[in-house]
Amino acid sequence: MATTTNSSQQTGVVRSQGPSQTAKLTQRVIRNLLWAVLYIVISLIFLIPFIWMIFGSVRDESEIFKYLYPFGWHTFFPVHWTLTHYLDVLGLTPAGKLADLHFGLNIFNSFFVSTAVVVSSLVFNTMGAYFFARLPFPHKNLLFVYVIATLLVPLEVTMVPLYIVVRSLHLQDTYWSMIVPWFASPFVIFSLIQFMRDIPYDLDEAALIDGAGYFTILWKVIVPNATAGLVTNALLEFQFIWNLFFWPLIAVNNPRIQVLQVAISGTLSQTQQYWGRTFAGASLASVPVILIFLIFQRYYVAGVATTGIKG
Amino acid sequence: MKKRRPLFLPVAALLFLAACGGAPAATNSSTTASGTTSQAATTSAETAVPAATSAATAAETTAATSVATAVATTASSGGAPGEAVTINFITIDDPDLLLAQKAVADAFAKSDPKYANVTINFQSVPFEQLFPKIESAVASGANIDMFLADAPDVKHYAFNKAIIPLQDYYTADELKQWLPGSVAEGSYKGVFYAPPSMESCSLMFYNKDMTDAAGLQPPAKVQGWTMEEALAAWKKTTVSKNGSGTPTQWGIRWGQGTYQGDYEHGIIRRSAGKKGSPTFMGVGADGVTFHGYLDTPEAIKSFQDYRSWHRGPTPVTPAEPINNIFFNKQSAFVVYPDNAIGTINRLYPNGDFHYGVTGIPYYADGSQLCHGGSWHFGVSPRTAHKDISVAIAKFFGGAEGSKIWYSKVHQLPARYDLLGSLPEYNKYPQQLFNEGLKTIEVPRIETPGYTEYQSIFGELMQSIVAEGDVDVPSLVKDAATKMEAALAKYKGWNQ
Amino acid sequence: MAQIVNTPSYVKDVAATEGLMSQRRRRMIIAFLFILPALINFTLFRYLPIIASFRTSLYQYSLLGGYGSFIGFEHYTRLIHDPVFWKSLGVTTRFVIYKVPIQIVLSLGLAMLVQRETFGAGVVRSAILTPMVTSIIILSILWAMMYHSQLGLIQSILGIFGIPHLSILSNPNRALIGITIMMIWKDLGFSMIILLAGLKGIPGEYYDAALVDGANKWQAFTQITVPLLKPVLMFVIVTQTVFSFQVFVPVYQMTKGGPLDSTKAIVYYIYQQGFSYQDMGYASALAMVTLAILLVISYFQMRFLRAEA
Repeated sequence: MATTTNSSQQTGVVRSQGPSQTAKLTQRVIRNLLWAVLYIVISLIFLIPFIWMIFGSVRDESEIFKYLYPFGWHTFFPVHWTLTHYLDVLGLTPAGKLADLHFGLNIFNSFFVSTAVVVSSLVFNTMGAYFFARLPFPHKNLLFVYVIATLLVPLEVTMVPLYIVVRSLHLQDTYWSMIVPWFASPFVIFSLIQFMRDIPYDLDEAALIDGAGYFTILWKVIVPNATAGLVTNALLEFQFIWNLFFWPLIAVNNPRIQVLQVAISGTLSQTQQYWGRTFAGASLASVPVILIFLIFQRYYVAGVATTGIKG
Repeated sequence: MKKRRPLFLPVAALLFLAACGGAPAATNSSTTASGTTSQAATTSAETAVPAATSAATAAETTAATSVATAVATTASSGGAPGEAVTINFITIDDPDLLLAQKAVADAFAKSDPKYANVTINFQSVPFEQLFPKIESAVASGANIDMFLADAPDVKHYAFNKAIIPLQDYYTADELKQWLPGSVAEGSYKGVFYAPPSMESCSLMFYNKDMTDAAGLQPPAKVQGWTMEEALAAWKKTTVSKNGSGTPTQWGIRWGQGTYQGDYEHGIIRRSAGKKGSPTFMGVGADGVTFHGYLDTPEAIKSFQDYRSWHRGPTPVTPAEPINNIFFNKQSAFVVYPDNAIGTINRLYPNGDFHYGVTGIPYYADGSQLCHGGSWHFGVSPRTAHKDISVAIAKFFGGAEGSKIWYSKVHQLPARYDLLGSLPEYNKYPQQLFNEGLKTIEVPRIETPGYTEYQSIFGELMQSIVAEGDVDVPSLVKDAATKMEAALAKYKGWNQ
Repeated sequence: MAQIVNTPSYVKDVAATEGLMSQRRRRMIIAFLFILPALINFTLFRYLPIIASFRTSLYQYSLLGGYGSFIGFEHYTRLIHDPVFWKSLGVTTRFVIYKVPIQIVLSLGLAMLVQRETFGAGVVRSAILTPMVTSIIILSILWAMMYHSQLGLIQSILGIFGIPHLSILSNPNRALIGITIMMIWKDLGFSMIILLAGLKGIPGEYYDAALVDGANKWQAFTQITVPLLKPVLMFVIVTQTVFSFQVFVPVYQMTKGGPLDSTKAIVYYIYQQGFSYQDMGYASALAMVTLAILLVISYFQMRFLRAEA
């Protein structure tokens, strides 16, 4: 095992470097090739519907379902390329304007709402998880059951009573109605507990003896040691809110503050189905979230120090 | 390399956002965005658009960067002195309907100075979610003034007091301006509740190139083919061009979209019965009995026929529905209302889709029918502006409103005056729809439990065409039992 | 490292009255402040609706028609005799049993595979996360097209192996499997990313130490990775079981519970009773029973998995 803890970035799959011989080299090439094939196959499994959707968004609407079978080049690749669907959904064409499409605004709304939830959720759920994971309190288990039980009721069932609560707080038809109900999440609390539990307790105790309060410990000891969990949960929360559909549909009436998922479903109307617009909208909805996951991936992917052996 | 990635990606994300145009990522960029938006509107003239409308939409899009500004826009839109009133109106997400609604709303505001301050706030939801949305709004006491009601649901809403009767706002003569079927569908227990927006009737469209290739000449009249003749034509036009044995061109798609709703699929079994027979009625006079109506021998036979179209030795329609099958030239026939014409014109602006219209197929020993009815305008009892909401409903269903509506939607009008004044409805193919509406149109089954009925009916049709062993008669009988159970709560509604 | 300057003001206030309160009690109150916002949220936005649903389940109630007569637990006795309820419970259970184990094993395997910081692993990782971030409504539409017995892409792939056209979503024996496969595909990224974060938390020195002891990769996996990942694994299993039990959108979008009720998952049945059949009272009773079932399942899962650890 010649690979040291900080030299594995270059190839990743190489684990042993004996004296340089051609046999070893070919073995290495073949091995890399096999890995590459495996990677490509797995990637394709996950990307194919997505590729079809993206290409579907830049082709004439009449050909979207036309070349599905038999399978061929044009199953994916457009015969006539067009950006009309994107211009339509962004309200940049007369047709898009007539249909009152403004996905740009909807994307902003989705971003605003999701970000607001993630920020508030990071604060309150981190506090909550810290409470459960590390603070002394009588009957903590009962409180934990109280929190987790809320995870067990599907939103589809409690949506209407929830709407009544939101209305009685006069939050309906505002951004608040999409943010406030989610500022704490049983899932995120449950999840963060797992990431906080394993941080050595000596650190807290040392800080406590130094006279630090719980907030200081949380901020200075726990948060830095739980970044992977925090970032991961922030991302999961972001995509959860980003993809919410039924709740904004019920809670929000003003089309100017409506989120993207509801706007997309509007392209699937009863009499005329605008598949091109649906696909364009769906592509617009996915790309920003994928980018965000890519930006933050160094937080949830194992660091250099541990890549030497695992796998 | 590893360090650079996080720097590069936010930049890319920002660029992407900026490219999205409307998204007001930064306050100072919104003016630029609005500039390009209106420029794009004026330079690319795809269809004739009233410049004022597009400019207003563009301005609104950029103005509404926050709730505060959005509210300000609504409040200031009245302009003239006096109390500004906003009417909340739940409607479906359909580009043509939205257009029509806005145009009629503008005309309404201009129709009388006292309505100049009235703003109608249309809240559109997808068709499938309209009913849950209205239910939730009613259940939670949301301030909804009006909503669009599907014709057969009017009775449902009236039964539950979710809409108010408008009978007192109309004279007997005024009610005669609409086709009797439309008035019946907008009524509950003989009281008029909701004026109609338009009418509908499904006939059979065909792809002329395909029928020509098969040597078929569908009759250009409402009294078209019987089921038997139609089935022969569908078989002839179901062909496999690539030799795989799987058809690449299908005979028929019965109904819009890919679902099996009552609007078109409910016609088949009713057609198996003679006019006035239990099968034709579809439901008992009490509106809650289905045994003896849904499961008569001739109705069951028609359900078996329906299965054989999908699963028989020679299927004529795909067992799993295909999106846009007719418009993509993958089926020769389709049963569809007249709005198919608009879709064809939109998808094939150069006119390279040759089509014709013939009557809807019917059982020779039964009767020919198409389901009528379309959207009605309902006024909620919760409205704080009852007089204005009623005035809006009246205007939307009135002579001027219907005319503007038609100019955007191009679907069969429900008013005699308008239907008579439109030259296109006197010549083929639209003439057939005009005639069909007057001769074979029948309202969907009359029951306050239409929603429940339709949901169970859809499941029945889906199960009938399932692969494997399917016992059609017992499925139909089960469905009748389920319907009766779900509708038991309405027993005695019309006594 | 710890400075009082960073402590919120109320902690100082409490500190001022220290003489009156015992140290322990003071700490308890501060501790409670950490969970208080979440408790307020859950009480207002989760428990109030749940209580409202429970009340609803005791009445004849429809969303449009409002409250009818009080009928006590009649909805609950009806439920016992409702064959569709039992069928939907069976469908849901099968879905969970098919899906969760396969998903957990695959996502752990994939997490191990893609945790390296190489270009290839990065690409695969992003690919796996793509379905997770895409709207489930859109994915359901895409998969219904891919499954399509005549046109589907999956049919083309099956064709390569000589399998003729296969009805999937319209066959009562296969529809649920079709939805299961799609949902495993969709949720793999979700469980994988949590496991990845968990893997990241395992200190590299443990592996180095194991290496020195002459352990091979499999031994390192079973003796270091799995035990140290246990809390995260337990969490993933419990939450995925709960979420899978609540499967709704793919059923709503792809099959509407059919054909022949073969995909009528419990939440879809609840939705149907409440919103389509106009019986929110009964739907609420179904929801309460579902809540009870999930409570029991989660309790035993957590107990079992924790005892193992």
